[in-house]
Amino acid sequence: MLLLKLAFRNILRQRRRTILTVLSMTGGYVLCCLSFSLTDGSYKNVIRIFTMDHTGHIQIHRDDYLQRPKVFKGIDDTPEQRQQIHSQPGVQSIAPRVFTPALAYAGTRNTPVQIVGVDPALEKTTSRLFDKVTQGQYFDATLNADGYYSAMLGIGVAESLRINIGDELILISQGADGSIANDIYIVTAIVGTRNSWDRNKVYLPLSVAQEFLSFYGKVHQYSLLLEDENAVGRITQSLATALPTLTVNPWMQVEATFYNSMEADKRGNRFTLLIIVFIVFIGVLNTVLMSVLERTREFGVLKAIGSRPATIAGLILIETMMLASMSLLVGVVIAAPIIAWFALRGIALPDPIDMGGIEFGFMTGEFSVGVFAWPMLLIMAFAIVVSIPPGIRAARVSPTRAMGSF
Amino acid sequence: MTNAVIKTMEVCRYFGEGETLVKAVEQVSITIEPGEFTAIIGPSGSGKSTLLHLVGGLDNPTSGVVELSGTNIANMSGAQISDFRRDHIGFVFQAYNLIPVLSAEENIEYIMLLQGIAGPARRQRVQEMLELVGLNDLGSRRPNQLSGGQQQRVAVARAMASHPDIILADEPTANLDSKTGIALLDVMKDLNETHNMTFVFSTHDEKIMSRASRLIHMEDGAVVHDERR
Repeated sequence: MLLLKLAFRNILRQRRRTILTVLSMTGGYVLCCLSFSLTDGSYKNVIRIFTMDHTGHIQIHRDDYLQRPKVFKGIDDTPEQRQQIHSQPGVQSIAPRVFTPALAYAGTRNTPVQIVGVDPALEKTTSRLFDKVTQGQYFDATLNADGYYSAMLGIGVAESLRINIGDELILISQGADGSIANDIYIVTAIVGTRNSWDRNKVYLPLSVAQEFLSFYGKVHQYSLLLEDENAVGRITQSLATALPTLTVNPWMQVEATFYNSMEADKRGNRFTLLIIVFIVFIGVLNTVLMSVLERTREFGVLKAIGSRPATIAGLILIETMMLASMSLLVGVVIAAPIIAWFALRGIALPDPIDMGGIEFGFMTGEFSVGVFAWPMLLIMAFAIVVSIPPGIRAARVSPTRAMGSF
Repeated sequence: MTNAVIKTMEVCRYFGEGETLVKAVEQVSITIEPGEFTAIIGPSGSGKSTLLHLVGGLDNPTSGVVELSGTNIANMSGAQISDFRRDHIGFVFQAYNLIPVLSAEENIEYIMLLQGIAGPARRQRVQEMLELVGLNDLGSRRPNQLSGGQQQRVAVARAMASHPDIILADEPTANLDSKTGIALLDVMKDLNETHNMTFVFSTHDEKIMSRASRLIHMEDGAVVHDERR
């Protein structure tokens, strides 16, 4: 307690210098918190939209379908199978899908497309497909009055073929049994924008796509949405255990390139922050060193009367940690309302960013323990590091040299 | 076997080398017995302070042996010598050297904190020490609120607080006026007589020398006269 008192009184000796040092550390901390909040908030948004747009949080395939997709690599899509997956704790919804490349015709025009067969009702609960309908109406698996099934087109397909709602679309592909698959559909909706990832896709109701591909009772993929996106790893593990014959992948593996580039960007941001904090702490180091040099005689006295070198170094560490703690206290008081505002309101972007056909008009922040705790750890770690050189210097003070004589 | 508090055997301390070699202490062999009130006297540069540094474990001899309470203090690590000073030696400095941000009580308490003495026992001993040096009512004052004489009394109380084997004082009255210096010496002498505390101090002051029970006279780093009274 006396050592703490001594340290506290020491940092109050030069109050103006202490205030300036505390403010500089506070600035560094607030900046870190803001950066963490905006980075985490933005990426959380991106991940939420990205996973809801097409990957889901977890995907289940047969064998190596993810790496080498073949139309015949299907999963038996039984009610029991779906129930087993859906009943796993943390799984919010499940969407079965089939995929195949095809050639699309309309009039004299044609274009390569990818057919995606989705369950209209389940897909609504798992992805944003329903929200992405820009023209027409979201489809269902019923025949129209003329005996045609519905198809929804990415805008790229509609523009290539110059067709619109109500027009006929001819699809030709190869069935899972090797037969020629071809049929006529009526366009009921256009989805997404020119920037959408699915601009060249044709959506069919799942049962229609299965019939088209002669792929009865099978799907290529189950896409799962989880209640908590942070539980991806744990639930992937439990699903992999529960479904030993299938391949379970988290979205980070499904879209490894996207995930890795996002992580690299995050690391870049963190590194920039480290440099900023490092610069702040060079100033702090200077302050602590000055304080040690000014008190050389006192350290000599403390050593002469029996303080161990480690006790002297510990005193410097305590003083630096006290400065850091004061900064963090002030920093939390300043940062909390700012970050809360960013989380609740966000910054309106002058030019909205289009991401996968979804526009971001606001940059929002994340308000979580981590946003405050990680920068705290960073500041504390730097505080410990910068207390080492002055601490060693103070600990090595020779009492006779420090005091001249007694 | 000896129960000497300090024993030096042919201790030398040289600074520099070649033409700049300074023989600050040369072949000094002395023994200080418990309860002695010893003054080391001599002109400036005679080696008094260097000898006190050596016997206080603040400096290492170039050659020779320094034993404190039967322990050779050469070759101790930084932490060992710190612990040894803390438990066996009390220091009184010419410039008082109290910690300015601690009160008189806290300055005295600090050394006991280093010794690991529990809070209540520390505080009780602080009061005892303040009473011994006649500063009962001034414990809460910081050094800058005390006169030079009062600060030096606090320094004596601090030196006593750890129950050392010996108190070393380098020119303890040099910064005090004559009256205050004699009053301080009376306190030290009283502690020597009533508590059998061993004191070794350096001084120029004739009046102070006259109160010592032993005078060690140094010149040019060597002991030229050693007189017990």
